[in-house]
Amino acid sequence: MSQAPRGPMPFSRRDFMRTTGVMAGAGLLAACRQVTSVPPVGTSSDTSTPVTHPPIEEETGDLRIYEWLGYGDGSYGDDVLWAEYKDAGYPAPKFIKTFDDDSGYTKVAAGSTDFDIVHPCAYRFEDWVALTNDDGSPTMQPWDTSLIANFADLNPNLEAYGNINGEQYFIVADWGFASPMYRADKIQPDDTWGAIFDEAYEGRISWWDSLNMFIPAGLYLGIPEPYNMTDAELEQTTDFLMEKVPLVRTFWVDDPTPDLVNGDVDIAYAWQNHWWAALDYGSGSKKAVDAVYMNPKEGRISWYCGFALFNGIENYNHAHEYVNSWMSTGSAEWLINNYAYGHTNTAVDQDKVTKELVEQFSLDDPSILQEPNSYPERPYSRRDVYNDLWLEVKASAG
Amino acid sequence: MLWLILFFIVPIFIVAAYSVGLLSLLPSDAGVSFFAWKRLLEWDAVYLQLFRKSIWMALEVSVIVVVLAYPVGYFLALVVGRRRYILLLLIIAPFLTSYLLRVLAWRLILGAEGVVNSLLVTIGAREAGDPIQWLIYSRFTVILVLVYVWVPFVALPIFVTLENLDRSLLEAGSDLGASRVRTFLRVTLPLSLPGVAAAFTFVFIPTIGEFITPSLVGGTKGTMYGNAISELFLKGSNWETGSVLALFLVIVVAVLMLVLGRFVQVRNVEAI
Repeated sequence: MSQAPRGPMPFSRRDFMRTTGVMAGAGLLAACRQVTSVPPVGTSSDTSTPVTHPPIEEETGDLRIYEWLGYGDGSYGDDVLWAEYKDAGYPAPKFIKTFDDDSGYTKVAAGSTDFDIVHPCAYRFEDWVALTNDDGSPTMQPWDTSLIANFADLNPNLEAYGNINGEQYFIVADWGFASPMYRADKIQPDDTWGAIFDEAYEGRISWWDSLNMFIPAGLYLGIPEPYNMTDAELEQTTDFLMEKVPLVRTFWVDDPTPDLVNGDVDIAYAWQNHWWAALDYGSGSKKAVDAVYMNPKEGRISWYCGFALFNGIENYNHAHEYVNSWMSTGSAEWLINNYAYGHTNTAVDQDKVTKELVEQFSLDDPSILQEPNSYPERPYSRRDVYNDLWLEVKASAG
Repeated sequence: MLWLILFFIVPIFIVAAYSVGLLSLLPSDAGVSFFAWKRLLEWDAVYLQLFRKSIWMALEVSVIVVVLAYPVGYFLALVVGRRRYILLLLIIAPFLTSYLLRVLAWRLILGAEGVVNSLLVTIGAREAGDPIQWLIYSRFTVILVLVYVWVPFVALPIFVTLENLDRSLLEAGSDLGASRVRTFLRVTLPLSLPGVAAAFTFVFIPTIGEFITPSLVGGTKGTMYGNAISELFLKGSNWETGSVLALFLVIVVAVLMLVLGRFVQVRNVEAI
């Protein structure tokens, strides 16, 4: 997948679709194809032109948010994350769910740009900024941080990650870890990423269904830069994953917790919210399962995600208000207490958050997101190659 | 015909254009290339192995489904009297519920702490904490669930064929001294083969490209060719290779359709 500027193509998708539409005797196909976002005059996509937007009262307010499951649609009481926005009397946004960064990105790249806000994670930040519409205009636009009152309370080091080409394209909001999670009542693995590749747990392992599985494998194999492997290192890691994939029982898409709790697997690549959920899965007592969130000797992988703004949208001010609500201390406290994630708001009242979580994950210490405290997520040097190899690893599993 | 052109022929041409780089998801200077085709056909054994596995699984599912559905169709058409349509309605009633629900329900039945394993523990056939692993997230699970899903559907063409059977032929066989088994083998079965072939086709073709059921209950072992296509398009953003795999599937299915279509025709002629 190339992120190069639009170059000459033998026959562009647009031309092709139009032609076939005519050939078929109907304009239907051409109309059905990719939505092209044409930015209105003066949007911030053209940085040389002064930006003007109508006041919030003149906007429709029907926000469309492309968001992770459990991040706002209320399925888990998570509409609290935008409570301030709701309390201000703005209409409830429409949430369109995505289960992972890669397929979410692909859908937008394929033309589904009818959203106002999206919530990608760091290893995809640069890809999103590089996206363009068919007319060559940028798909995304930077935020106006002056419209986000809570921005001043956000951790500047983390927000710097969302600043690309001098513009704040991402309001970094949530952060956390990836690490092995296991049932301590069933297995007692050593504290290493090798546990999810261990033959002792054959048929009891669950991997994340993502090319990001190359990272723990790389860390375990001692590869110095897993996000930027050489050809030889990639071959070594691919061979390793293909050798180990027969040990794996499931690839999880959105949550390994049910399989862990139900006894179908004993160890899984997991985020800390999975561990937090496993503890009281179905019981509400935090004693349901003796789950442990490992701190492997190679280091936990850390990640952070942020909100991005689509270009040419009608609800520019509503979008800023929504994100401002998400960045409030109330939202941060809910995120910590319910998902065990970190939040970039540094003004959180420590008396309102679960101390056990803060201590276990150093949620009050942003330096935890830096090496050697953890291994931070970053862009891939050759995502296409990683992607293809990962799909081959998966295809070889059967 | 317009429908066929718009929603079958044109999309196939679009997929073909993606498969050779004439179109691409993201801007590219690569131009027209048969690289993805070459990879699939020459050395990319992983996807071809997956394709072969899917063909075998589709064959297994189709044969099992037809074998199970035939008695159902036979019973409805030739044994049950006036209540046949009520029974038919009952058989297809599961179609009134969500496909996903029907598939996911099997996870509750076959899981480590599901109905089957819990029952085995209760009666002492297995020890607690030692469930039968292959019941869920396996090739077996995918085949079981697909058979469950397809049997009621496939009973329909067999039922229709048998119901339209000329009953006087069965009476003639009986009058000539043939036993019921012999009448079935020499008269009923040959005349119903077109329905059997149609039923087999109905199952076999969609099952080769199946990806929902394997992704829900198949685990890593139950992965099929359709999963690879889906993931190349979605997670992989690799529409070129995804298109090659999809088109390859279409070509193989088209050839199989021709072969099966010819078989059905021949049987029809013989039956007449």
